[in-house]
Amino acid sequence: MNTPTSPAIRVEGFAKRYGKRLAADGLSLTVQQGEIYGLVGADGSGKSSLMKAVAGVLAFDAGTVEVFGTRVDSARSAERVKQRIGFLPQGLGLNLYPDLSIEENVDFFGRLRGVAAAELAERKRQLLEMTRLDAFRGRPMRQLSGGMKQKLGLVCTLIHEPDLVILDEPTTGVDPVSRRDFWAILGKLLEEKGITALVSTAYLDEADRFHRVSLFHEGKVMGEGTPAELVAQVPGTVALFRAEPQAEALLRLKAAFPQTEAMGPWLRVFAEGLDAAGARETVGNALTGILPTDWFAREPELEDVFVAMLRQRGAQLESAFSAGSHMPAGATDLAIEARGLTRIFGDFRAADAVSFTVPQGEIFGLLGANGAGKTTVIKMLTGILKPSSGEGRVAGADMRSAGRAIKERIGYMSQAFSLYHDLSVVENIRLYAGIYGLDERQARLRSDWVIGMAGLAGFENDAAGRLPMGLRQRLALGCALVHEPRVLFLDEPTSGVDPIGRRMFWDILFHLSRREGVAILVTTHYMSEAEHCDHLALMYAGRVVADASPEAMKAGIAAESGQLVELRVDHPVPAQAALRAAGFASATLHGRSVHLLSRDAATDLRRLPGLLAEAGITVHSADLRPLSMEDVFVHRITALEAADRRAS
Amino acid sequence: MKHQRIIALAWKEWREIIRDRLFFALAFIVPTMLMLLFGFGLTLDVENLPFAVVDHDRSAASRDYTYRFISSRYFDFKGQAGDERQLDTLLADNRIRLALVIPPRFGERLARGEAAPVQVLIDGTFPMRAQTTQGYVAAINSAVSLDNMAGALSAGRGIPLAEAQARVQPVKLEVRYLYNQSVKSIWSLAPKLIMLIMMLSPPFLTALGVVREKESGSIFNIYSSTVSPGEFLIGKLAPYVAISFTNGLILWALAVGLYGTPFKGDPAFFALALLLYVVCTTGLGLVISMLVQTQVAAMIVASIVSIIPAVLYSGMLLPLSSLAPGASAIAHALPPMYFTNIVVGSFLKGVGWQALWADMLVLTAYAVGLFGLGYLLFSKRPSA
Repeated sequence: MNTPTSPAIRVEGFAKRYGKRLAADGLSLTVQQGEIYGLVGADGSGKSSLMKAVAGVLAFDAGTVEVFGTRVDSARSAERVKQRIGFLPQGLGLNLYPDLSIEENVDFFGRLRGVAAAELAERKRQLLEMTRLDAFRGRPMRQLSGGMKQKLGLVCTLIHEPDLVILDEPTTGVDPVSRRDFWAILGKLLEEKGITALVSTAYLDEADRFHRVSLFHEGKVMGEGTPAELVAQVPGTVALFRAEPQAEALLRLKAAFPQTEAMGPWLRVFAEGLDAAGARETVGNALTGILPTDWFAREPELEDVFVAMLRQRGAQLESAFSAGSHMPAGATDLAIEARGLTRIFGDFRAADAVSFTVPQGEIFGLLGANGAGKTTVIKMLTGILKPSSGEGRVAGADMRSAGRAIKERIGYMSQAFSLYHDLSVVENIRLYAGIYGLDERQARLRSDWVIGMAGLAGFENDAAGRLPMGLRQRLALGCALVHEPRVLFLDEPTSGVDPIGRRMFWDILFHLSRREGVAILVTTHYMSEAEHCDHLALMYAGRVVADASPEAMKAGIAAESGQLVELRVDHPVPAQAALRAAGFASATLHGRSVHLLSRDAATDLRRLPGLLAEAGITVHSADLRPLSMEDVFVHRITALEAADRRAS
Repeated sequence: MKHQRIIALAWKEWREIIRDRLFFALAFIVPTMLMLLFGFGLTLDVENLPFAVVDHDRSAASRDYTYRFISSRYFDFKGQAGDERQLDTLLADNRIRLALVIPPRFGERLARGEAAPVQVLIDGTFPMRAQTTQGYVAAINSAVSLDNMAGALSAGRGIPLAEAQARVQPVKLEVRYLYNQSVKSIWSLAPKLIMLIMMLSPPFLTALGVVREKESGSIFNIYSSTVSPGEFLIGKLAPYVAISFTNGLILWALAVGLYGTPFKGDPAFFALALLLYVVCTTGLGLVISMLVQTQVAAMIVASIVSIIPAVLYSGMLLPLSSLAPGASAIAHALPPMYFTNIVVGSFLKGVGWQALWADMLVLTAYAVGLFGLGYLLFSKRPSA
């Protein structure tokens, strides 16, 4: 047996190569027993390779991997630790058997792992109850929602009570409510059974769910430690303010602060190495004459720090746009108008009286879980799907009867980045130019514009399929923009892209909207991206249930349910239970912290440490945190779901 | 080996096959359907050939001559045509395969003892059928000539007709076809179809069944558990062997019951041989599944490595002795030929162990070899 202090996982100099591509390049990390350890990074950053190697299901090229003191360096030695490991591979529900029911899936995993019948029945009962899947035991896996598939995957991974679970992106493709539910269940299970977990995620804002994390980028570890330690590695201040004209202010700030972003009408600057006062002074100087208003100074978030780390290692965040803006005529007209859009499939209302408007020059976000009706609305607005009733107008024309001329004023970029992977960058652009009927001269001009805008210079003749995700995404955007559309539809455009790529993408969208007056409608379930939008509509069960700016939505939640309080404690699981017992139904686990909403924050900050001390829990710190869009989303949707349950 | 795990794997696989519509069809419907399609569609007999006649003579002799063709079971009379131009259309439209043109004064010339030409037009698009047709025509024609000769002899010399016939054709052939008395091609084809279909279906099923787990990622459940490669392969493949074996028995029943093929051999021996063959072809599917990563690739490879040997190098359409030396060597290196010997021997010849032990031995070697190779290629810790 191992002593409790010996590490669960020790990785040293791990390298893995697929053909010519180096997927992991000298990775090292140590996971202690009982830890929830996070691997955070974009697609292709080496997370999966490392996890598979640790699970003993992938041979690697260099380095050592030790699990519970056993070296995993051959098929034979890997077998020795496999009974102590549970591995959930990447891809939502893909490792499950779609034609088997929930119960049959669990039974298969149990028997495969040699769990005795009586024990299997008991564990199955417990786990299905905890994940609230017990009511659906007989339902075939293929008919489950994303969140249910994810929970079933977890149950199947835990059925043999492993000492270590390895979960590869368990929350990708799942809506925020299910995600939060998943983290709560996982945290509780791991704590109860003393299981160690190695979990990867592409969402940086999930890092605070872990005890410790490694930040992955292009096969290397950029930093390791607790989320707080990592944030402390690059000190600085985040300033949030308004400044008009916004586009001009952004350009001026970028020169001094590369990490400047537009968030709707706000500007967000990471002032590296400066305190709040220093940031205010330096930002003021950089703005040369434009006066910032509504100033807020905040602690940096992990993403700010990660981007700073990448910049220190040479990543460029330069904007392809320069000064000299012009807003085209008629820029403030209504670009998109949905009026009572309804679509009925059989007796299912995929979209139910959806109404909203988007003026030219606005970035509009459509949020919602899978199946909430986002894609149905986009299809009706682009004229692909006929509404059952109501109407969608784009650029003033009814999309049911719109001719080609109108459709050519629309750009559309889908989730899958509809590119031809075997064609080169230029060939892809020329193909789209051809489809939209551009003549030779226009095609050449626009092709040059796309390559400059997307930062594709030097990659012109590379096959699209071989580009890194970020470049591929910007190429797809370029192809959707090749005919200079006035209205742009983006369906989940940024899944799997690294933070630098995401920033450059949003920089482009911002310039398109502000400088060229393009109206942009984005669907996303990356909640951190929703913050970039000027305006949001939240969809639930085919309906728009909230329609406001991100700020107004947060303010609405704060007024309704209170402010967000973060308590850092020594024993988060019992702390959460104690807080729930004390009436804080919103208490959720975030790594070693508990978050809750408080209507009287000043009082609660003072009294909660005492309340928890009575339960034998030490509170290290209690702070107010800004509400995130994810908090808003989860709060709204949970309330609606509860109302639905009461109604039925 | 833990039988609990093997049972869990086999049970899971069975449910998936039963519930997945595509797999269900592949496993239970396609083999029977192929047997019916090939059995009714691939008949090699040349019978009921539609034909027409242009009779410029219109004499008793020409009618007699035509009647000989009309009364044959190999020909199907479609009627008199007015002239040769009409024949062109009939042949071109596939309404007839054959035409006779009887010239004027045909009867008159025969009566005078002169040679009388008859023109035969045969559709040559299928050389084999055309040659067979020509053989039938020549046989009927020579029978007519012999009868005419015998008639003339009997009338001229005043001897009885039977004696005259014996004089005209002193040597008479007495042919008896062994094993397939009425030379029905379906009797020979149906057993070989069992060979063909059992060569196609198990590799497809098996390769798709394993590769789909690779494609979806559920193979990682196996990799990351402590199941041994042997347990996995047995549990995973047992349902496929069982299903394919059952299909083989169904095909046997169809060959005997539906097509009326006689089964003269030992049923127990045949069942054992069938099982061995099915294990062989399942093993082929296993090896394919280890070498490819996607279901599309599995389908392409499976169809190439199973259809070509089963059709070309098995003795199904052409006897093996007529293959070139190179092709014959290929045939001997592949399992279908050996199972063809076994099905033909069991159905039509009624032979068993004594005649076929060598073929059984080769199939056993194949089964062991293919599974051994599959086992070696299977890694729970691959490098990609």
